[in-house]
Amino acid sequence: MANERQNILELARKDGLAVPSAGLSVPDGYFDSFADKMAAMLPERPELEHPDEIKTEGKRPLWNIVRPYVYMAAMFAGVWLMLQMFTMMTGANRLQPMDSNPVLAEALMNDDFMDNYIYNDVDDWELVDQMIEDGSLNTDEPFDFEDFTAITPDSETEAADVILPQ
Amino acid sequence: MASIPEASPELIARLRQPDTVRAAFTEVIKLYSEPLYWQIRRMVRSHDDANDLLQNTFMKAWGSLENFRGEARLSTWLYKIAINESISFIEREKKRAGISLDEHEGTIDIAAQPDIDGDSLAERLQEAVARLPEKQRLVFNMKYFDDMKYEDMSQILGTSVGALKASYHLATKKIEQYLEQLD
Repeated sequence: MANERQNILELARKDGLAVPSAGLSVPDGYFDSFADKMAAMLPERPELEHPDEIKTEGKRPLWNIVRPYVYMAAMFAGVWLMLQMFTMMTGANRLQPMDSNPVLAEALMNDDFMDNYIYNDVDDWELVDQMIEDGSLNTDEPFDFEDFTAITPDSETEAADVILPQ
Repeated sequence: MASIPEASPELIARLRQPDTVRAAFTEVIKLYSEPLYWQIRRMVRSHDDANDLLQNTFMKAWGSLENFRGEARLSTWLYKIAINESISFIEREKKRAGISLDEHEGTIDIAAQPDIDGDSLAERLQEAVARLPEKQRLVFNMKYFDDMKYEDMSQILGTSVGALKASYHLATKKIEQYLEQLD
């Protein structure tokens, strides 16, 4: 049965029906006139047919070329200025350098402040190491290290007076 | 046995020259109008629709001629445009008629088509082809009527050769079954 059915398609092929126009018809002279009619309908394509003229017409003055970049630079400058003004208005930029701050300078001149707030967290051993390093403590001379380890709370201030550089 | 004409290298070169592009494109129309017409006509059946779609095909080709860079053959490029136009048209018609995309087979009434010849075998074959789903119909038309190579069909339809062979096999089975019912 399959062969018979296949034969129908083969038969149609042998009968000349396996061609695109088989069983279909078109108005007389349709293909003869189609190309000319179609060509007449095609719109102008200046970019295809006259590209040189397009190029000449399309030349832009320098200002037109750089204009977008200038506008973009102006925009960024405007944003920067706006940020600067905002910072000035909110006072976020009022911090001054440490050496021109009179309160801090005065505090640093005060030895008690240094002792109480700055050297307070420093271990005695670190202080001695530091003094040896910067030469304020002569290690060639006999030195009783027990003097440091035996510092009592009562004698802490006196001991500190001895070892701290004045 | 039909064969797809191929544009000569000289014609392709003239399509790239501004002073000869229009005349060369007119030659392209003369060369391809008939094979493209039959390809479209076998999809949409009506001469008037086929004529409109053929005009749209050449309009689109002319409008995007700079996109044809010569990597593919001119015939492949034109067939792609024609088939896309046909499929879009069929889908628009189906939506207009409220038919879902998968229910299209068997909706074409051959007897109602005034442009179809009355020859019995040809008429039955046309009717059987018209009842195929559109993609199988496309593949069957290209292979059976245009005798196109699977490799060319693959380029035009963007489908693998294996899938095309399977599709053609299914299409011939369905046609055979339909013709068997008529006997």
